[in-house]
Amino acid sequence: MIFKRRTSFQFRHFRLSSKLIITYLLLTVVPLSLLGYISYAQYARSVEAQIGEYMPKILHQANEDIDKQIDELMRLPDLLFNSEQALSILRKETYAKRSEFNKDQYDMNSYLSRTYIRGNNANVIGVFILSNQRMFYSSKQQFKQADWQNTLSGYSEKPYSIGKAQFILPSEVDLQFDAEVPYLFIQKQIYDVDNRKVLGDMLIAVDLSFIDKIFHNFESSNRANLWLMSDAGEIIYHSDRSLIGTMDTEKDNYPLRSGSFRANHAGGAKLMSINTASISGWTLVHSIPLSELMQRTNLVRNVTILLFIAISVITSLIAVWISWSMTRPLKRLSGLMKTVEMGNFQVDLKVPHRDEIGMLARSFNSMVSTIRDLIQKNYQVELRQKEAELYALQSQINPHFLYNTLETIGMAVEEGETEAVVDMVTLLGRMFRFSVSNQSKWVTIAQEVQHAEDYLTIQKFRFEDRLAFRIDKKMTDSHFLQLFTPKFILQPVVENAIKHGLDVRRKMEVCLSVSEEFDARTGEPCIVFRVSDNGPGISSEKLFQLEEALKKDSFAPKSANFGLSNVNARIGMMLGNDYGIQLHSIEGIGTEVLIRIPLNERSD
Amino acid sequence: MIRKLMLFMTMMIIVSACSSGSGTPYRIVYSMDTQQTTSEAVPDSSLQDQRYSVAIIPKGTEIDYFTVAAEGAQEAANDLDIDVMFEGPKTADVSGQIEVIDSMIQRHVDLIAVSANDPEALIPVLEKARQAGIKVISWDADADPQVRDFYVNMVDPETLGRHLMDTLANAMGEKGNFAILTGAISASNLSDWLKWIQVQHKAYYPEMNLVKVVATDDNLTKAGEVAKQLLAEHPELNGIIGNSSVGFLSAANAVKDAGKAGAVKVVGLSNPNFTRSYLNEGTVQMATLWSPKKLGYLTVVLANNLLNGVRPADGQDIPKVGKIRVVGDMVIMGEPLDFSKENVNQYDF
Repeated sequence: MIFKRRTSFQFRHFRLSSKLIITYLLLTVVPLSLLGYISYAQYARSVEAQIGEYMPKILHQANEDIDKQIDELMRLPDLLFNSEQALSILRKETYAKRSEFNKDQYDMNSYLSRTYIRGNNANVIGVFILSNQRMFYSSKQQFKQADWQNTLSGYSEKPYSIGKAQFILPSEVDLQFDAEVPYLFIQKQIYDVDNRKVLGDMLIAVDLSFIDKIFHNFESSNRANLWLMSDAGEIIYHSDRSLIGTMDTEKDNYPLRSGSFRANHAGGAKLMSINTASISGWTLVHSIPLSELMQRTNLVRNVTILLFIAISVITSLIAVWISWSMTRPLKRLSGLMKTVEMGNFQVDLKVPHRDEIGMLARSFNSMVSTIRDLIQKNYQVELRQKEAELYALQSQINPHFLYNTLETIGMAVEEGETEAVVDMVTLLGRMFRFSVSNQSKWVTIAQEVQHAEDYLTIQKFRFEDRLAFRIDKKMTDSHFLQLFTPKFILQPVVENAIKHGLDVRRKMEVCLSVSEEFDARTGEPCIVFRVSDNGPGISSEKLFQLEEALKKDSFAPKSANFGLSNVNARIGMMLGNDYGIQLHSIEGIGTEVLIRIPLNERSD
Repeated sequence: MIRKLMLFMTMMIIVSACSSGSGTPYRIVYSMDTQQTTSEAVPDSSLQDQRYSVAIIPKGTEIDYFTVAAEGAQEAANDLDIDVMFEGPKTADVSGQIEVIDSMIQRHVDLIAVSANDPEALIPVLEKARQAGIKVISWDADADPQVRDFYVNMVDPETLGRHLMDTLANAMGEKGNFAILTGAISASNLSDWLKWIQVQHKAYYPEMNLVKVVATDDNLTKAGEVAKQLLAEHPELNGIIGNSSVGFLSAANAVKDAGKAGAVKVVGLSNPNFTRSYLNEGTVQMATLWSPKKLGYLTVVLANNLLNGVRPADGQDIPKVGKIRVVGDMVIMGEPLDFSKENVNQYDF
């Protein structure tokens, strides 16, 4: 259990590429090699089984052919009994004259030549009759040995089975024909059935090449061996002629008499097929090295191995490639994450795929860009807020405004209007407090309107009859006191209106109204501040330019319209682009600035 | 983990595939061996442990033909390693045969081969032998087919009968008077030959005249008398056929005694040893027979085969005999042999 847990633990912690490659190898190389091995082994076995089944049948057929031939050969001696003349010569025991014997010999030899040598059976090499110290013979070939007659006489002394032809196998014969053909003797006692006497012996030399002809039927390779052996294991005929006459010492160990078996010898495994003839008792053996059989299957094996290697290489490459193509973006991702972690958001993970990795990359990209945008936006908002505040602050402690106000206060002091001085100083102080007191970006509507009113009131002190203003509140008190608005949005607009109006007009009137309306764009109620004047108005071209500038949301800090665009931008950043400033103006009649904000109950 | 398991399994498969190859030197791929092996031969050989005893019953033990046949029977007994009893009446006598067969039944022989003097008369005793579990065959002269398994005949009766007639006709120049000396009228083989002699005579030799058929009962004394009597009664006689060896020899003696050698042609059945002198001096022209030794030998071999459950088959090659013919339940040993002055010395029986 410990072993198991430890190894699984280890595997789980392998690198992903290692896991993938190992998995691919297991899924391709191992099954492929198993499949290849099993199918090759199975194929080889089936080839072996096929040959093993087919060969004994062929051998059986060949054995029957040999049997048939042997049976024919065994009958050959009987031909002798067809001739009364031959029999009467053999029955003779003594001769009065040499010429009589010579004549008999002539007659007998020519009979043998007629009957056997030029007879029907082409396999007969020679026929020899030993009878009563006489030798009759006829032969196609001469023996090499000079004293062959004596040697042959020796064979007639062998013991016999009664009345049956028998073989003298090559190993028992010391004689060779000139042509060195493999042969055996068929030996038969010549028995006079009428007189019940042995007349002599007949030896027929039979060329064994007929077995060759039968063997030729085997489509065998050179490495296959085929031999015929007697019951005792003596090799009568062998495809390797030098082995004729030797003994097959293994014969008794062969596991069967008819069939096929595999023999594992030092020289390599062999497939041996064997068949034992029923009549002659001779055994025909075919032996072929397994490697020879498998030679035909080697092509299959080689192709299999090549295919195996090719597929292994290809799959390994695919495995490596896939794991690489999976892990490479991941590695890059982790690298990029580190970069992002360091604060650099200007990164782009380029993965062309549309798979999960590609999706991950795209998600990462969008996440980074979103973070980047959010940072940008917050930064901008903060920046504009600060700018707006700075501007507001600047305009509050505007030296012009301060100077003018102080001058107005001074004049009032000179004229002894103490009440007005107190009022103005109070208003100025309240305005400063408004500006510096609250750090929040948000103030209640009431506070904002109060601040605008304070400003207007101070200006009213300065310009006296030239300026008139009115403030309308068209909303409930609770909303007026509880709803919030971005700080410092009214004063710049009002200031703007007065500045432009009094530049051209002798007298002007500014009207500020706060109302709660239904907003058709968002479908929700909203707060609308309206600052209208009866100033010179704005030409339609100028108005268009102004609107464009507001839409672009661009900062032109030192421009004349900085106040408006600053307010508009701040509202857009804090409350969304649905809200902001709208301009309506008719040249020569007046201008109306609408500031729309949502109903804000919270100041965060 | 998985990898190690797979490796282990692979190893196991490879190892198991290899192990089958190394143990024994031989592994059988395909076997054609059937149950034909030695196991079935065993009960047969155990049966043969007790030696067969075979009784060969001749027509008469003193007839030369049968003494020669006995030699062949004994040879076969030695070759086959069985017991052969060659016993019978001294002369061709059916009652003597019945006695001998009876005694053979008492001795529980395995097989009786009989050369029947009188098929009819032998029926009861052979029936009795069969009931005692003894196999019965006939040889030389057939018994009643109902009471024997088969008959070992020497030659085809038709061939022999026609050949004897031809031989005599050749010697007589196809004209003149002739007589036939046969053995016992009851002997079936003799009567068969007689029938075919007459068939051939009627068919081809109109100028020849069959004067008389005389039975000798295969009794030498009787034969000598009837032969003399025949010559005396028929001075116009030109030829005699000896339809049995006894008849042939008595005819030859009678012709020689009457000084009619050459004038009265004598042909017939006889073995060479007894015919040689007559042939050489010209008393008889031609003797025809087969080898009685061979017949005795063949009879014993076939008897032994039958005891081993092998019936004779047409074309069967019997060692030291040759091929036999089988017609129905009759075995034919071979062709008749002619013995003339020229070739008689070749034969020794």
